Amino acid sequence: MVKVNEKIDEELKAIFSGDVPWITIIWDDPVNLMTYVTYVLMELFGFSKEKATELMMKIHTEGKAVVSTGTREEMERDVSRVHEFGLWATLQRGDLQ
Amino acid sequence: MSSDLPRGFHPHGDTAFVANFSESEREVLTNLAEQIIELLAERLDHQSDDPLAAMVGITSHDTPPDDEVLLRLLPNAYADQVDASEFRRYTESTLRAKKQGHAMAMRINLKTAIDGVVEIDRNGANDWLGAINDVRLALGVRLKVEENSPEQLQLISPDDPMHGVYAVYSWLGWLQESLLEAVMKKSQ
Repeated sequence: MVKVNEKIDEELKAIFSGDVPWITIIWDDPVNLMTYVTYVLMELFGFSKEKATELMMKIHTEGKAVVSTGTREEMERDVSRVHEFGLWATLQRGDLQ
Repeated sequence: MSSDLPRGFHPHGDTAFVANFSESEREVLTNLAEQIIELLAERLDHQSDDPLAAMVGITSHDTPPDDEVLLRLLPNAYADQVDASEFRRYTESTLRAKKQGHAMAMRINLKTAIDGVVEIDRNGANDWLGAINDVRLALGVRLKVEENSPEQLQLISPDDPMHGVYAVYSWLGWLQESLLEAVMKKSQ
């Protein structure tokens, strides 16, 4: 018998209820300043400077990073706010990554 | 007194940020803000015929803009085209209006500057950061920063009109950085 911890249990429930979490991805682009990307992450998502810098570096070196997870409606709001400040974001189902 | 102030944005008092601009800098920046406002104006042929739909910001355009600059300012939110179109139909008008709002705030601050000194609060700083960024995105498309490295851009001949565009693009990057530093210093 496999051991099911709480986290896996939640994940399994989510899969069968059709309640799969959605994600917001921010993509790298050569125009936006690194400081600006860090600032937008702090301002819109409430990340600490350290966490925002870490995510910014991930976007910069890997081309993209997941910045938030939640319902589809929540991710649509996040993407809209990111677009307002000129970074490029998309949303998708979290299991299709 | 204005000429004694350092260049770029600096924290001022508890809640403000100030910068001192020359007349030509203000002219360039005002002009760019006005161009962004105009570019983002709703396309007349795409306004909804349904007054209620128009009122809540639903437009009939669900295809991405043909113009490369507009597409960069109003990008797709989904990789899937059907989802992207649906999202655009319900949100593009609001996004246009918000971006116009940032540029309008910057324009008003420049128009009402006394002795070239612009003073803004924290909300104003977000308007400026967003507006400067939109201008840089627009110029970046024209400069093809996706393909050209900074080294290549620096080598543009002074005879080429893109030489001046790159100078403005770089200056705006510097100005944005100065405001970011000032804002981050204050929020620590």
